Amino acid sequence: MRPTVEAYLLIAPSLFGFLAFLVAPVVIVFVLSLFSWNLITSPQFVGLANYRRMFADPQVWHAMLNTAYYVVLNIPAQTVLALLLALALNRKLRGAKFFRVVFVLPWMAMPVALGVIWNWFFDPRSGIIDHIFSVFGLTGPNWLTSSTWAMPVIASVNVWQYTGYTMLFLLAGLQAIPQTVYEAAAIDGATGPQRFFRITLPLLRPALFFVLVTNIIGSFQQFDTVYVMTQGGPGQSTTTMNYYIYQQAFQLFHAGYAATLSILLFAVILLVTLVQFRYFRKRTIYDFS
Amino acid sequence: MTTKPIGRQMSGTAIYLLLGLGGLVSIAPYLMTLNAAFKPQSTLLSTQAWTPAVPATWSNFTQLWQQYDMSGFIVHTALVAVAITVGQLVFTTLAAYAFARLEFPGREPLFWLFIAMMMVPQIVTLIPLFLIMSHLNLVDTYRALILPYVFGTPYGIFLVRQYFQTIPADLEAAARIDGAGTWTILRRIMIPLGRPILATLATITFVNTWNSLLWPLMATSSERDEVVTVGISALQGQFASQLHILLPAAAVALLPLIVIFLLFQRHIVRSIALTGLK
Repeated sequence: MRPTVEAYLLIAPSLFGFLAFLVAPVVIVFVLSLFSWNLITSPQFVGLANYRRMFADPQVWHAMLNTAYYVVLNIPAQTVLALLLALALNRKLRGAKFFRVVFVLPWMAMPVALGVIWNWFFDPRSGIIDHIFSVFGLTGPNWLTSSTWAMPVIASVNVWQYTGYTMLFLLAGLQAIPQTVYEAAAIDGATGPQRFFRITLPLLRPALFFVLVTNIIGSFQQFDTVYVMTQGGPGQSTTTMNYYIYQQAFQLFHAGYAATLSILLFAVILLVTLVQFRYFRKRTIYDFS
Repeated sequence: MTTKPIGRQMSGTAIYLLLGLGGLVSIAPYLMTLNAAFKPQSTLLSTQAWTPAVPATWSNFTQLWQQYDMSGFIVHTALVAVAITVGQLVFTTLAAYAFARLEFPGREPLFWLFIAMMMVPQIVTLIPLFLIMSHLNLVDTYRALILPYVFGTPYGIFLVRQYFQTIPADLEAAARIDGAGTWTILRRIMIPLGRPILATLATITFVNTWNSLLWPLMATSSERDEVVTVGISALQGQFASQLHILLPAAAVALLPLIVIFLLFQRHIVRSIALTGLK
């Protein structure tokens, strides 16, 4: 068999799946955004009406702000905690392997099951969080029925789940920094903070870049925890973009409008990712191949 | 310089405190859920929810199984997850090998198209996928759950291709001289040497499929093919305060993954260390 034919045969199944279930849907979503469709009867062409509606829909901006708020609560906390744990594990320690496995364990948890568990933890009557509060003579707010606290609670669930996973990538980054750089710095009399800010942090940029880009893209798509813990409430306080798109498509049956909304979310994610690429490229050699 | 060892010792203690606290926070929810699942209903809603489940009772699990088709949910989920995982392993290995080692026209643009599509958020494809599946009359079938993901993902192909590229080309060249064809090279060289990354891909795929909610929620509507995520979220909707039903269900959903993770954690931790930076 000729090598070229062979190569095409090898990639054929993946290519088929890729074209049919990824590329075609992306094309379809653009087409669908020009239609009004209730998922059952045949779609009606409406031109740019969905886009006009989107820009006039105050709930879109509300959902976008909620999503941004969630990302802001989730990413810095998760990244800083992960960095602390990675720095601690980067030393020669007894039990380092054990801790590595323990920290990554939450990553496996099913978000839906987690939602159930964390609903229980934050329950005002039997939850452990309020129990801990009461030990100190404090009373917690009604976490999940409070529009102030519901989103931080959801963000903290996510921080719990992904900190260890993020740590693993940062640890890999730390271990790739050659020890000789630190030895040279020690000879030059660099202090601990100097070593951290002048050596560790800059050399960790590729790993930081990777976790920030992938975690931010993931956070922009928050759905499961919201779906199980708050259903977007109380009020609209935890309605993220993804949840709003789901509501429009599969609860209100506005599939065309939901397609338009998902294009908006895609555009925002792309923009945020490109900004990060620009920012990090300044001092990072980002090797993709 | 006599102060230095003391300083070191103190920071060592601080590090263990940090690690110990982090470790406790990581596993406490699992332990508490497991414990609570074995407690009688009466103590779950009281202030004694945190005491050890002594004596333990299976009654929550029997009640869960009597009222709900938990076995069904688990079997459906396992079927879908195994089918997708096996499919992804096979098709990803083939494509990743071609992208890593074979020369063919269009290789670079195709590969970069794959990579670019990694950025597409899942929600963008879901409504069109529903449209495609309803056109093919597949909504509410296993095929609807399996088809979109069984042929592999750009992420998986990227991951495995990166790894295959680290396998020495001389090995393959020598085998070719000995008359080995592509199939033999795949079977005798690439797959055995690629085991760590394939174990990682298998675990990631299995976990993602086992845990995924959004697509099954859209693609299924009857209990005969509902998966465990959809089942539990329905339970949560119906029995929001019935912890003696919900917590055992959550425990049952979590356990298989923990077992898989503990089996494969060596590979996962290592391969993330290898590929994470690139």
